[in-house]
Amino acid sequence: MKAIHSCIRYTLFICALLLSNSLFAANQAGLDAEIEELKAEVIELNRELFDLEEQLLYPATTSFAVFVSMESVDDFDIRSIKLNLDQEDVTSYLYSDEQIEALRRGGIQKLFASNLKPGLHKLKAEIQGKDRDGRLVKRVVVADFGKARSSKYLEVKIKHNPKKSKPDFAIVEWK
Amino acid sequence: MRGLLLLLIMSSAANAADLLPDQPRTAKQDAIYGQAMYSLHSGDYATALTLNNKLRHRGQRGYGKVLDIHEATAQLGLGMSQSAKKQFHKLISDKRLSFIPTEARSQAWFYLAKHFYNKGMWSTALKAIRKIKAAQIGPSVKDEYHFLALTLELFKGNQKKADQHILAINPKSKWAAYGFLNLAVSYTERDVHISKVEAVFDKALLLSENTSNPKALADRIHLMAGKFFFATGRGRSAIKHLKSVGLESAYTPKALLTYGWALTEQWLYHDALQPWYMLKTNHSPLNQDVQETLIGIPFLLEKLNAKVMALGAFDYAVEQYDGIYEKLGHSASRLNTGAFIEPLLAQQIPDRWGAFAPIDLSLPDHPDQVYLKDVMSKGYFQGELKNLRDLHVMRSQLTKAVDDLDAFTLTAQERKKEYTKITSEKHLTKRKKHLQELKSRYKKLLARINKAFKNPDGSGLASDFEKEQLSRFENVDNQLAKLKKSELFKDKNYQKRLKRVQGVLAWELSERYTARKKQVSKNLALLESRIKTTNKQLAAAEFAYKVAPKAFSGFENKNNRLKAKYKNQLAKLEKVYNKQRERVGSIVKTDIKKRQERVMNYQLQARLAAARLFDETSNKKRQMASDQISIGELRQ
Repeated sequence: MKAIHSCIRYTLFICALLLSNSLFAANQAGLDAEIEELKAEVIELNRELFDLEEQLLYPATTSFAVFVSMESVDDFDIRSIKLNLDQEDVTSYLYSDEQIEALRRGGIQKLFASNLKPGLHKLKAEIQGKDRDGRLVKRVVVADFGKARSSKYLEVKIKHNPKKSKPDFAIVEWK
Repeated sequence: MRGLLLLLIMSSAANAADLLPDQPRTAKQDAIYGQAMYSLHSGDYATALTLNNKLRHRGQRGYGKVLDIHEATAQLGLGMSQSAKKQFHKLISDKRLSFIPTEARSQAWFYLAKHFYNKGMWSTALKAIRKIKAAQIGPSVKDEYHFLALTLELFKGNQKKADQHILAINPKSKWAAYGFLNLAVSYTERDVHISKVEAVFDKALLLSENTSNPKALADRIHLMAGKFFFATGRGRSAIKHLKSVGLESAYTPKALLTYGWALTEQWLYHDALQPWYMLKTNHSPLNQDVQETLIGIPFLLEKLNAKVMALGAFDYAVEQYDGIYEKLGHSASRLNTGAFIEPLLAQQIPDRWGAFAPIDLSLPDHPDQVYLKDVMSKGYFQGELKNLRDLHVMRSQLTKAVDDLDAFTLTAQERKKEYTKITSEKHLTKRKKHLQELKSRYKKLLARINKAFKNPDGSGLASDFEKEQLSRFENVDNQLAKLKKSELFKDKNYQKRLKRVQGVLAWELSERYTARKKQVSKNLALLESRIKTTNKQLAAAEFAYKVAPKAFSGFENKNNRLKAKYKNQLAKLEKVYNKQRERVGSIVKTDIKKRQERVMNYQLQARLAAARLFDETSNKKRQMASDQISIGELRQ
């Protein structure tokens, strides 16, 4: 009788041990899944916040933004850019190697966002970088533009010029 | 196998964006898509996912499966392995996706396999790597692909396939050295002839010259080879390799310890003391190799028959172990509360998170710096720390978002105030009234002018005197008409007089009339311009009234709703954060406990050895004393 009792006790102990082990493993996996789910939820919330921010801070009638692009330009490395709007420095930016690569691969950077009143305005972009031989290149591009009661988007476009060994710099308006 | 894992972790620096086939920017000027691509390629995966979600929310607009690829890549970058795995699997195995070139597909499989290998999901990694056709893989990753495939096949024990891969690696590539090292490690775990293992280690050493840090890899290979030969009882071969490990390397403590043991096994006790003294002097007693040396040195002294010195050294070791145990106890009491976690998280780069953002493990001002560095260098611990860091970043993002929403609420309230102020000023009503007055004046004036110009007698513009003149002019006109019918008409003088009177009247009237007409036109133009200006002012006021100040409406509810969501999320995150913090803390707690147990074990051995030696030396003294006594007795 004693032997049977001790056998049952032993079996129960083994079962409890196995159960606790599997529970521990399940908890570990569960926590990882919880973290992943949290990440997805935070991303969705950020999307809602992004929408709200756009609508509230930059209404369609006054919104103004400047983008930077440098698609397929392999003879120029942008290092910094400075924006001057209506005789006032509004922003500047220093680029990391990853960001330069992102621009090369077709990414567009939203460099500046603001509200702008209707009328005539002037945008000046000062771009610094290095050419293929590592020499410092500095370019200034200027654009006079009109703003109506609708959003206005400008793009500082650095474009590959197959005829020259230098890229072209321009400010273009988005239609 | 752990060696293989560590080796690959050391050599891999994959970027999630590398998984992408090159997707050129669309011809369309789509700000959101362009920004999503920029964020994705520059490693800001959270923003990339947010923007990708926005694109989906807006409707796909012809982007189709590209958004799925971007999403999977960003998920991978953000450490959401399970979601990314499902998405990638669905995408890459779908043969209908003709826009992904075969090379890009192979490359994607490769990086996916590499990622899962680094995460420790080896079987999944092997499945992914077997999808690749060697001929289709790009030259830039070809050698690395063969290396990864070799490692995974070795893990599964498929020697033949592993051999095929190792032969395909270019010998000048760094992956050849890593490949041969992994092969050697695999041989050490299986029953392979020692000469073959040695040959593979030698080959790996030879090829280590092609790596970026040949010295470090050579030290590592020497240590691994030395440990293997020592474990298999080939002391001389072990000594040869261990002697070659540099004295300033990360592998020095382990090499010195094993070198000492290898010399001991060769009965070179005196020589073995040198590396152990060196290890003890140059490294912290918290180092586990040093702890082993503390008990190893008196053991050697005993073997050298310096028993009194050995006894002293054992006593010294017992004291040292007490100190180490106490230090570990202090560390445990400090680290049990997880007090190192917050300073560690605080020194990370803000907003950098995800699987590819490394953790800064240095804790320069922490009292347990040496111990923590040792524990945190372990791969699994870093994975847990990354999760905790991600939660920490998310928490700060959520808190910032709640603050932003408060600021948005303030903005909306300010706009509402502005709007109320504008409406209470009755600004618009005043303008409207003024415009109505002007318009009525204009209308009256216009009516008068019309009357004056349209009426042939021009009486509308005439004064009383002019009206009298006009009536006289009319009389004269009537008289002239009568004269034409009567006999008097023939009287030419009278006729001339009448005409002269008529002329004078007309002349006087026209002079004044022209001046007045000019004045009236001028006044009219002035009034017209004022009406135009007031009209514009009215339109502007109406616009301001209608558009700008009302930009608050509808935002209050949206703000509040989103804020409630964020607060809920923050509360949820806090729970998960505490769980993860506990998990990280428990790793340290368990590790400290194990170390303390080990120290206790060493101390017990040292105490027992000291007692034994004490006994032996005392017996010897007693024996010597009794021998001396018996010699004395004999002499007497």
